[in-house]
Amino acid sequence: MRALKNIFSQLHTFVLWLLASALFWGWIFTFVTDTSPEKKITVYCDVPQMRDTDLAVALEEDMPEGLRMIKVHSFGYVMFDVESIDKGDIFIIPVSDMEDCAEFLAPVEGEQGIKVYDAASGEGAAESYIQYADEDYYLFLGSGSAHIEDGKALAVARQLLALE
Amino acid sequence: MTGKIVELFPDADMERLARQIRRWRTALCILAAAALAACVCMAAAAGTANADRMEIAAIIVSTVAGWIVIYCAIFVVTARRRELAHAAMLRTEDRQRVEGTVAVTDERFTIRKSVAVRRVEVSGDEERRLLVCDSRAAALAASGAVAVYTAHGYVAAYEVKA
Repeated sequence: MRALKNIFSQLHTFVLWLLASALFWGWIFTFVTDTSPEKKITVYCDVPQMRDTDLAVALEEDMPEGLRMIKVHSFGYVMFDVESIDKGDIFIIPVSDMEDCAEFLAPVEGEQGIKVYDAASGEGAAESYIQYADEDYYLFLGSGSAHIEDGKALAVARQLLALE
Repeated sequence: MTGKIVELFPDADMERLARQIRRWRTALCILAAAALAACVCMAAAAGTANADRMEIAAIIVSTVAGWIVIYCAIFVVTARRRELAHAAMLRTEDRQRVEGTVAVTDERFTIRKSVAVRRVEVSGDEERRLLVCDSRAAALAASGAVAVYTAHGYVAAYEVKA
């Protein structure tokens, strides 16, 4: 009973410690699980639902040399203001959003974009990781990508296209 | 007639308190270091597949270990440190003998930045209201003391019939 009373008398200290701990380790893990754009490939997918961690792990299995990690994020219009999206390497975009995203997109092997999901047939790449909406989706490289010249963005894009 | 004088904080108890403080401090340092090492290992082992789980585990480990350290530091180590300081004060200050029937009451409170105490009433030629360190209250109540020795209003020792 006295122990409980003691805990309540210092409740603010315990709550503060919980917050400090969560913030500190959150910052540390963000730091250790991220790296500079030169050492990673970032994939942005504008899809309703996806298993981003599993997709990243699958792509990391055969990662081009010199890369440390592959990051996969879903994104929406709110992210257009985020600075890091300019440096995205691969984008998977529905046909309806292509015009809005045009400033981030670069053609792939001379084509405007590679079709990754065909709504008519219901077939697409990496379907076990990505749940597409009922429209066509295209894959683009990022116009600000640090890995267009060295071909690593394209290599990962091909890997993604080969996933079931 | 003078009976047997019993110190509330004899030398052996002072040494025991000092030893307990050292042991608790060492144990808490080891716990904090172990928790920190575990969290650093989790951060080092974090990869794309397990980063979320490792982060949650590190937060849980550091939070729970921190709570234990905070609780013990405040309510165990600091309490003992204050009791030791209180006892040291009682042993060095001038004392006054108060004779009469000694009754330890249930009135318990904590002196700010000091020890928890209980109210003691001594009824003799005159009635005196004193304080005794809570950890020694039971011993004083059961002693059948016929007089107490006080310093700054606290009971420092008591006298029993020889």
